[in-house]
Amino acid sequence: MATTSVTPIRAGDATARRRRRRAEGLKAYTYLLPALIVLGVFVYYPIIESFRLSLNRVAPFGAAEIFLGFGHYERLLTSSEFWNNVSVSLWFMVGTVPVGIGLAVAVALLLSYPVSRMSWAHRTLIFVPVIISSAIAGVLFRWLYNPVIGHINTWLEVIGIDGPNWLTSRRWALFAVTVAVVWRQLGFNVIIALAGLQQIDDSYYEAAKVDGASAGQRIRHITLPLLSPTLFFLVVVNVIFSLQAFGEIDILTQGGPGQATENLVYSVFVDGFVGTRFRGLASAQAFLLALMIVGVSFLQFRGFRKKVHYQ
Amino acid sequence: MTATSAPEGITDLSLDRELPTLGADPTQRRRGLRSAELWVQISLFAIGLLVSLPILVAIFTSFTPLPRILADANSIWTPPWTFDNYVTAWTATPFGRFMFNSFAQTGIITLATVLTSIFAGYAFAMFRFPGRNAAFAVVLGSLMVPFELTFIPNFVLISDLGWANTFRGLTVPFLANAFGIFLLRQFFLVLPKDLHDAAKIDGASDWYYLWKVAVPLSKGAISALTIFSFLGAWNQYLWPLIITNDESMRTAQIGIRFFLINQEAAINWGAIMAGATIVMLPTLAVFLVAQRQLVKGLAMSGLKG
Repeated sequence: MATTSVTPIRAGDATARRRRRRAEGLKAYTYLLPALIVLGVFVYYPIIESFRLSLNRVAPFGAAEIFLGFGHYERLLTSSEFWNNVSVSLWFMVGTVPVGIGLAVAVALLLSYPVSRMSWAHRTLIFVPVIISSAIAGVLFRWLYNPVIGHINTWLEVIGIDGPNWLTSRRWALFAVTVAVVWRQLGFNVIIALAGLQQIDDSYYEAAKVDGASAGQRIRHITLPLLSPTLFFLVVVNVIFSLQAFGEIDILTQGGPGQATENLVYSVFVDGFVGTRFRGLASAQAFLLALMIVGVSFLQFRGFRKKVHYQ
Repeated sequence: MTATSAPEGITDLSLDRELPTLGADPTQRRRGLRSAELWVQISLFAIGLLVSLPILVAIFTSFTPLPRILADANSIWTPPWTFDNYVTAWTATPFGRFMFNSFAQTGIITLATVLTSIFAGYAFAMFRFPGRNAAFAVVLGSLMVPFELTFIPNFVLISDLGWANTFRGLTVPFLANAFGIFLLRQFFLVLPKDLHDAAKIDGASDWYYLWKVAVPLSKGAISALTIFSFLGAWNQYLWPLIITNDESMRTAQIGIRFFLINQEAAINWGAIMAGATIVMLPTLAVFLVAQRQLVKGLAMSGLKG
């Protein structure tokens, strides 16, 4: 008797709950739909499409496609031009990442020095490149690098140095682009490094002080190890940024002189969009570049964590 | 800083905050360190000047008459100054149109990103539904996909749709992104559950709760997202470069590129720098007004990493 009177209620309860669940599921997907459509159409679908394009030769003007298999990849891996672009990308990374992060940490250490009054002007002046676009960074430095009337060579002249023609010199062009990119990234890097420094608990320093550690020792044995999660984040992000550099190169050198500053991204752009278009070949390069970038960002989620000290 | 402050012990980089001392003795701070402090302040100011020098050079150059720029680069630091370069830039190339395009493109992207992030972030934080983890993985996974991989197929798709040289073409691929969704989900998650329960008991719908409770309480995160989206969209380069070839649809960044590149031999640097200053102005203004939120938001992204 008791059971028969209870069961219908439970059953009714369960269907009601199921119905409510279904209604909630439907509502949830309605809220998610706009975002999922955008990500699906413009992020996920292009991954497959990009790979498909890379296996085909696409007619420069028109839709005709010939299946090549891995022909583009074979061609790339045996072409000196491709390896030049890879080496430009890597040299660019070597030039920007350690210097950029080193400078940022040094400035952040200074900024976190105990002062009675923090000046608003300092931070504003140091953080400001964070809002500069790659195009504007390119334009500003193109002016500074002007061989005859630009400020850099004018100032070098004052100390008796005859500055080179920075952007058309094979020797200096990549360096010049590197400086512009390090400059644009500096604001961001300092902000992240400073945030990391402020996470470190003061008690560590107090303890070290009691033990008689000098300022240099405190930085080496406390600050840097405890900053390592932040440093690791900075390395990953900066490596990715450096592999993606495009705007400054486009405005400063357009990949030249010769191909001295043509990195992989620029080469994808040139092959895919300038003159005769080779979208299949460009896609193959984009795919190889993406593999490098994904590989680096993957490190952020795995493995490396073990080498990093957390408080 | 009440309900709008960041969750999980996010560092407050605001300027009036007591700074960590790196172990310096607080009593020493008042006496012995005076000269050291002065030295630090001076070197920070010098570093600041050096860092912002390229921007200062651009601004000063933009106000200096061209003959003086050409005669001596260092003459820019002293008057007489003039607005001539701005007039030249504004009339020699359709800068007004470029700025309008940039504002429209940036406005659409920013508004849409904030809305799609609010909706999706709310769904992930508040609803339990089948496939939630999978959908969340799809959203986060998109962070790993570099733009370089997607822009050729996206270009082909947008061109096939006939959207090249339109605001649709400029904006549609960027109407949602994982960063915004993740950021707002985190904020909605830490809202007190009691609030939600109380609202439910009072018969409030999810829609009402979202707009009257969750969104107002997440103002800090939403304004940070707005600032990021604005800066990101305004500063876009590669996509607007390839998706527009009609001059009247160029954004400000692309406009300045062609303004520079098209002046082959005798570049009018005064006008170029005036153009560059115009293009920087909106982001500079945002930086000066919202430095605190911007810096805090960036710091957050680093600590989350």
